[in-house]
Amino acid sequence: MIIQFILCAGLGFALFYAYLQRRKSSLVSLAIVVVSAAGIVAVLLPSFSNAVAHAVGVGRGADLVFYCWIVITLLVSVNLQFKILQVQQNVTTLTRELALRAPVPPNVPPGGAAMEGQA
Amino acid sequence: MMPTPTPTVPTYEVPGRTVAVVIPAYNEGKVIGPVVAGVCAAYPFVVVVDDCSKDDTGRCAAGAGAVVLLHVVNLGQGAALQTGISYALLRGADLVVTFDADGQHRVEDIAVLIETQARTGADVVAGSRFLGKALDMPTAKRLLLKAAVQFTRLTSGLDLTDAHNGLRLFTRAAAGKIRISQNRMAHASEIVDQVGALGLRMVEAPVTVIYTSYSLAKGQRVSNSVSVLFELLLGRLSKT
Repeated sequence: MIIQFILCAGLGFALFYAYLQRRKSSLVSLAIVVVSAAGIVAVLLPSFSNAVAHAVGVGRGADLVFYCWIVITLLVSVNLQFKILQVQQNVTTLTRELALRAPVPPNVPPGGAAMEGQA
Repeated sequence: MMPTPTPTVPTYEVPGRTVAVVIPAYNEGKVIGPVVAGVCAAYPFVVVVDDCSKDDTGRCAAGAGAVVLLHVVNLGQGAALQTGISYALLRGADLVVTFDADGQHRVEDIAVLIETQARTGADVVAGSRFLGKALDMPTAKRLLLKAAVQFTRLTSGLDLTDAHNGLRLFTRAAAGKIRISQNRMAHASEIVDQVGALGLRMVEAPVTVIYTSYSLAKGQRVSNSVSVLFELLLGRLSKT
């Protein structure tokens, strides 16, 4: 009973989060709603996952949940990779702008530049 | 009176055209001074992009006569090149030359690139060590570069003998059209891909590349090729 409560609470928060994010990204929001709702049903009705599993040709409900989890994790990872790429591009833009705004002029010491490399 | 160093290497001047030499550098404090001094003696407008070096690369470069742009975060050679090129264009350069910081390139080859561009009217002139000379090149490096040429031929459609030479020349117009988004070593392939995609005219010119123990120790490992391929793929996917 207690585990069901904890899981439903967690999935409930996910549902609430999806609701909050609905304007920011409707597709991701919808996906979270569907997955969380399915999760809550599966937790409250233990035979649910087994029924769905058999319908799609998977042995056990637990196996189906596991497969779905793998797919979701892969999608999340790919999405994160692209987000990281975006952050890197932002860092590049900022670093470049800073460099261009403060060029260090040449500073050749009296006697000529050739001395510098011999220090 | 400070004596003006007279150029001792052959240069090629096109009247009225400013040449900017862009040198990306990372931890090259030991050699950057002499390298910059050598280039400055022939081409006074030198831009060194210090890619957040941990040593005194920036100070040595400025002391040898270069304008130094500092990256506060290490981004990679591709990013440093783009920063240098952007600066050169901002300052009105007509021809932008890219040059390595580690002493592998010869200053006299810059004249070869400029002369080739003036003669052929090409948008981009790429130095080729296989048309020219590669002194003391390790066999593994040679094989890897030949493989890179084939890969570039497949992806960009361009037939080059040396796809990864850091000695290149861009006209102002060409430099303005190219946008290096690959920060690290995949930029070399990206430049060639963009030249092909933009329909720019690229010719090669023979140059000499000198492999010293210093530059070899700092050079690219074979394993880096795998990460370059991965970065190119990721770059393509993110654009779709």
